[in-house]
Amino acid sequence: MRPFQYVRAASVAGAVAEIRSAGGGDDSSTVAPAADLVAGGTNLLDLMKADVMRPAKLVDVSRLPLAAIEDLPDGGLRLGATATNAVTAYDERVVARYPMLSRAILAGASAQLRNMATNGGNLNQRTRCYYFYDTATPCN
Amino acid sequence: MTATDALSHTTMPPAPPADVPVTLRINGAERRLAVAPWTTLLDLLRGPLDLTGTKKGCDHGQCGACTVLVEGTRINACLALAVMQDGRDITTIEGLAAGDALHPLQQAFIDHDAFQCGYCTPGQICSAVGLIREGHAKTPADVRELMSGNICRCGAYPNIVAAVEQVMGEGLAGVTANGGGTSR
Ligand SMILES: Cc1cc2nc3c(=O)[nH]c(=O)nc-3n(C[C@H](O)[C@H](O)[C@H](O)COP(=O)(O)OP(=O)(O)OC[C@H]3O[C@@H](n4cnc5c(N)ncnc54)[C@H](O)[C@@H]3O)c2cc1C
Ligand code: FES
Ligand code: FES
Repeated sequence: MRPFQYVRAASVAGAVAEIRSAGGGDDSSTVAPAADLVAGGTNLLDLMKADVMRPAKLVDVSRLPLAAIEDLPDGGLRLGATATNAVTAYDERVVARYPMLSRAILAGASAQLRNMATNGGNLNQRTRCYYFYDTATPCN
Repeated sequence: MTATDALSHTTMPPAPPADVPVTLRINGAERRLAVAPWTTLLDLLRGPLDLTGTKKGCDHGQCGACTVLVEGTRINACLALAVMQDGRDITTIEGLAAGDALHPLQQAFIDHDAFQCGYCTPGQICSAVGLIREGHAKTPADVRELMSGNICRCGAYPNIVAAVEQVMGEGLAGVTANGGGTSR
């Protein structure tokens, strides 16, 4: 992996400020951002090892208080961005009310990866296409 | 700018980002360390800490050889940054036995001949400790599915599943990781 700076965000506002002050945040398509968020790291670190992603700084959001899975008044659920895939898939309410979501998560990756991977990172993961992983192709 | 100036500018690498202080509890012992941000937990364990029981198979989250327990939860150490584990309790294969008394899963792997070359074994055992603690596996099929993040190139799978089942059958009392706390 290429060297990068590391900072652990103390708050959501702090994480946003870190990304903004580094001049990032608007262009999510860049592979060499001045700063990028990291949560479980299971997608981003993999891509950094492959030298596809080359952030100069990582802002760790994994300890922000965003891990709750909450009931909503309309009967829905709000899944926290830093709740892990495992916690989400095994949550009793998710299992009972959104069984397809639970089973879909459990059909992905491995138990170890689901213990690390977060919902926010899952939604924001990059394509798993092999051309994207190949730095010799024009995709990246 | 002279030619020498230009040369010195192009050959001077930028100062690398500074090391970050971290405190980890590794197999029960507190360690205060300074680590480069890009060091994975796996490379920290195997390198500076000389805990080479945890293996590097693929380094990309695909094989499970690097499985360790963080706060009792199994993860892939190859995709975990050491700096992100600050303050946490890490258990590796070296930390499972109580002195000379093997962990029940270590004993079960021997009883069932659950390895050939042994390269995947530390990861398999740590993964099985995590699996039993999670408590989601009820059937042999569940064990196979929930151990699927651990590849065995030698194909010792039937014996691995038998070893895990034996310990599940013995009950969960003695089968938590050292110092296993709440899950993350
Ligand atoms: C072997 C292997 C198998 C895999 N299998 C699957 C699979 O079957 N299905 C699947 O969906 N995925 C799979 N993945 C990909 C990945 O593990 C998951 O997508 C995971 O959910 C990513 O979450 P993370 O927290 O680890 O993300 P990270 O790697 O930490 O981050 C991924 C991206 O999301 C951004 N991000 C993270 N958190 C936030 C946030 N709170 N707000 C805004 N942006 C954020 C990061 O900046 C980064 O760009 C696999 C990965 C590996 C290595
Ligand atoms: S070395 Fe970590 S999963 Fe293969
Ligand atoms: S015993 Fe050789 S890889 Fe599993």
